[in-house]
Order: sequence, then structure tokens, then C-alpha cells
Amino acid sequence: MLHRHIVALRTDAPGAEDLAATRERLRDAFPRNATRRMTQLGLLLGGVLHDLAPTENDTVVYASVYGETRALEDYLTSFPTPSPTLFQTSIHPSGIQQVLIARQQPIRHFFPHTGQRHLVAHAVQSALLSPSPRTLLCGGEERGTWLLEHDAASGDTFAFALALSSDSANALGSLRLEQTTAAESALEAELRLPRFFSALAQREPLSHAVAPGLILTLSWN
Amino acid sequence: MPSAPFSPPPIRLTATGCLTALGDAASTHAALLSHQRALQLHPVLGRDGGDSVPLALLPQRSLDETAPPNWLAHLDTLGAQIPAADWGSPRLPVFVTSSNFGVGSLYAFQRTRDPAHLASGTPFASVDRIRQHFGWGANVSILSHACVSAHLGLLLATRTLHAGLADRALVFTFDFVSPFVAGGFHALKILNNGFPAPYAARDTGSIGLGDGAAFAVLEHPDASPTAANTLLLHAQSLYNEMHHFTANRADGSGFATCLEPVAAAARDRRLWIKGHGTGTLEAGRLEADTLAQLFPDAPLVSWKGSLGHTLGSCGLVELALAVESLRDGRVPGTIGSEPPFFRDNVAAEPFSTAAFDAVLLTSNAFGGAHAATLLTPA
Repeated sequence: MLHRHIVALRTDAPGAEDLAATRERLRDAFPRNATRRMTQLGLLLGGVLHDLAPTENDTVVYASVYGETRALEDYLTSFPTPSPTLFQTSIHPSGIQQVLIARQQPIRHFFPHTGQRHLVAHAVQSALLSPSPRTLLCGGEERGTWLLEHDAASGDTFAFALALSSDSANALGSLRLEQTTAAESALEAELRLPRFFSALAQREPLSHAVAPGLILTLSWN
Repeated sequence: MPSAPFSPPPIRLTATGCLTALGDAASTHAALLSHQRALQLHPVLGRDGGDSVPLALLPQRSLDETAPPNWLAHLDTLGAQIPAADWGSPRLPVFVTSSNFGVGSLYAFQRTRDPAHLASGTPFASVDRIRQHFGWGANVSILSHACVSAHLGLLLATRTLHAGLADRALVFTFDFVSPFVAGGFHALKILNNGFPAPYAARDTGSIGLGDGAAFAVLEHPDASPTAANTLLLHAQSLYNEMHHFTANRADGSGFATCLEPVAAAARDRRLWIKGHGTGTLEAGRLEADTLAQLFPDAPLVSWKGSLGHTLGSCGLVELALAVESLRDGRVPGTIGSEPPFFRDNVAAEPFSTAAFDAVLLTSNAFGGAHAATLLTPA
């Protein structure tokens, strides 16, 4: 069984807030002038990571199904004269890179995951396998526009960051992942990122199969 | 705050294979030994034209995507080389890595508005298509970090095996060129009508892009009796500078930091080095300088002057070619380049592996991401 204590948690779900409003709301979380070209997802990730203060010896695990959706949409529509800036910004894991480059903060171990049905399961496993004293598990989405109309983008905008540690001091809760035999774990088991975010934001406990052979338990103190 | 071990314990590498524009690992290796260049000039936007740029596409594969994707059937020859197992079951995880996944299909949808392209356009959809094509189970993790993607898959698979969560692990990678990615690099002005000459000291830098797919099977070192010629991923290291999106720290300190754990593991070994070597100038000079300082006796090669940069798949494609080099006893030189080089460590011509007992493989990515893997006999 893999297990870590949750020692910090930040969530942000701005609803219909637009990019300009998000930039204004979160501007104090960034160095001066750093936010001008940041995406909404990048801003939200920077906000939830702000006082968790990533360090070089942390492991950062990042989970996003669609990544930089708005940059992707805008880059696709920029053809036949593709925008180099939008190309750069659309590449996963741009969201986290925007934040850490703005802070000039190196990270030794950085694992950007994507996926859908089992994204949470595998990102959590990646985080819990880290030997680092502290692991930051973060993720999020930004709402799409024309790609959303074709089910190729998120319908919601949100971001989260958890600090995980082997040390139980001041723990808010815990995250466990247990391997089990296939007979005990339904093949259709899944936990999607929006559902995981909701459980985090609401401090809701979870305990169920999240992928064939994996049971996740999220508990709160 | 104390730090964790930077490199996991060694892990056994029991099988590799790759697919490039020159064929499988054996065919590609043989072609590289004979200085064959896979890169050819193509219009950057495919049927929509544009400037001519060097691309290395799989035979009979068009830059313009089809539905289903035109690269899917090509994967069959690679899939046939993967050792048969219930991959994707709980104890036999698959780690899929890519930088672009099916983004060529999204581009095709945007251009044609044919909804059939959407079925492969997102990362999870393209991977699920591959998973179903090969009959894998659902235990498929997906990682994406540009040109170090494959190294991440290897490291995470290694940790999974050492934690006792798997019996074997399959790492699979794919990246196929499309106008989406060719247009982007062309807009950045590093994909132009010049052919790449890795590590060559010239006035203009150029890259090429290439199709690539590859796999590796990893096993715990204690899992079963060691077969002859078994190899180990003896050390693996990562480092992310987070200095600038398109540039590394000019002093090379980020790359050097990544190399330190591997250099420690490689002490007293006789190395040759497979570098990243895309053909850009500043990054190429930094690579050659840093590697020459840390490993002064190690010849440095890059094969991207022939195969192009296979993007997220490059770490695993080039690992498979390094394994083929060890099997064959000859290492292809740095195709497309000729002196003067940035440093004397660059090997333009093929050489024998007889004098060496380890290979260092490095990759670098946007955002100052660095990865290094040390390959040794078991």
C-alpha cells in the first residue's frame, strides 16, 4: 500500500470568471509583470501553488486531461500563419512551466500526466511513489470554447494543489492507494479529474476502485 | 530540507524496439552506419503548401492526417516485436509517453471540419485507440513532457517495479509529425529549409522533424535468471531548470545538475554518449561543452541529423538504437555533420563499441528540462 499525509491543500474554482478577472484577482501571487502572457490555467495553478512554495527537492506531479485548451484553440485557428507563442504555450505541461519559469524555480522531478478515466489513479500513484520528502500533486483544467462544442475540452475551470508528506505533523488528511486483485476491482472503475477536484474542494472522503486493480482512499482528519 | 535519492536503483532492460522513417531498429541502425539520411524536404503545411522543411516521415505516410490516423497501421510492425503478455493488466502496467499524441487529427478537424478526426484528437483518445488496437488492458499511464517524455516513462516504470507493484513494465512512445507541429517549429524559425548538422560550428542552426515510435520492457533485476547480454538502466536522472521556455541557462548549470548523479554512477566506466543534438546552435554548443567537461574521453553522437527530431519519442527511439549498436558492435556517427564541431568530443564517423562498457543517453526539452540515462551490461 502507498500512503502519504496531506499537509496542505489549495483549490480554486472561479466559475465563469474570465482571464482578465483571474489575472487581476491572482496578481499578487506572481512576480511583477509575469502574468501578462499567462493562460487562465497557468494563473490558477500559480495561485494554488503560491504559498506551497515549490522547491527544487520537491517532486511535482501534474494532472490535466486537456491542458492548455485556449492556447490550443487559438493556435489551431492561427493557421495558415501559425503563432510561435501559441504553439509554445499549447504544449503540455505549459501550465506548470508558466508558473515555475515566472518564479525561476527549478524542480528536479516533474511528472506531467494526462489521460481521462484513470488519470487520477495514475497521477496519485506517481505522487505516492516519489521518494521526495514532499510531493506536490496538482492539476486542473480551463474551460474550452469551440473545442468544447466538440467534446474535446473541459466544460469547467479549476485547479488544485496538495502537499503530500510522510510526516503526519499538522496533517489535514491522507491519501492511500492499494493494489488489489482484479476480481475485487471492477473493470469499469475510474475516477475522473473533476470528481477528484470536487472531493478535495468539499473535503469529501473517497474510498473505491479508481482503476482496475487500484483502490484509492482519501480521508480527512 | 533533505533531498531524496536522485537516481533509482538499476532496473533490467529486457527488450527494446523502434520504428523510424528508416524502418525498425536493425534497419535504422544499418542505414545510419551507411550515413543514410531519412530527412527530405516537404511543404511545412502538407497539402496546404508553405516553405520546404526537412521531415522524415514513415514510408507512404502523408503529413496530412486521415481518419483513422494514418500512423496507426504502421505501429503493427513495432507491436509485433513487443514480448507477448497481458499488458495493461494490474501487474503488467503500460506507460505511454508522447509530446503530440493525436494533435495532427485535431489540426485535420480544424482544417476539414470532418468530425471523424475528433476520435483521435485528444491525448487520451489517441492512446485509447492504440490500447484497443493492441488489446492492452486499462492499466495504462500517460505522461507528456515534450522531448523528455520517454525518460519519464522509464523512470516511473522503474519506480513502479522497485515498489513491487508490477512484475514487468512496458514503456511505449509515439510521436508523428503533422502540420500542427511542423508549423509551430517553423514559426519558431528553427525548422527551416536547412538540414540539421548536430554539434557543427556553423552560422545557422536548423532542425528536422521525424516520425518515431518505440518500446522498452523493464524487469526487476532480481526477477528471473539473467540471460546473456542483459542490459541495465543503471542510473536515471531528471532536472527541470524552469529558466525560460526556449532556452537553457547559458552556463550549462542545469544540464550539469542533471548529469551529476549519472556521472557518479559512471565513475570508472568507459562511456560513449548519445546526445540530444537536434541541430540548434546554442543548445548544441552547451551540450557539447558540458559533456566534454564531465566526460572528457567519451565520444558524442547524435542521429537526429538523419532521423530528425522524433520529439517525445526520441529518448526511447534512440535507446533502442543504442541497444542495437551494442548488439552489432558498431555505433553510427553523427550523420549530417562535419568539422569544425563545437568540441573535439563529437564523433562524425561510426566507431566500435569494443573499447566501451557503458552508454550515456541524454535528452533536453523546452523549459530547460533535462534527462539522462546510463545503460550498462548487467
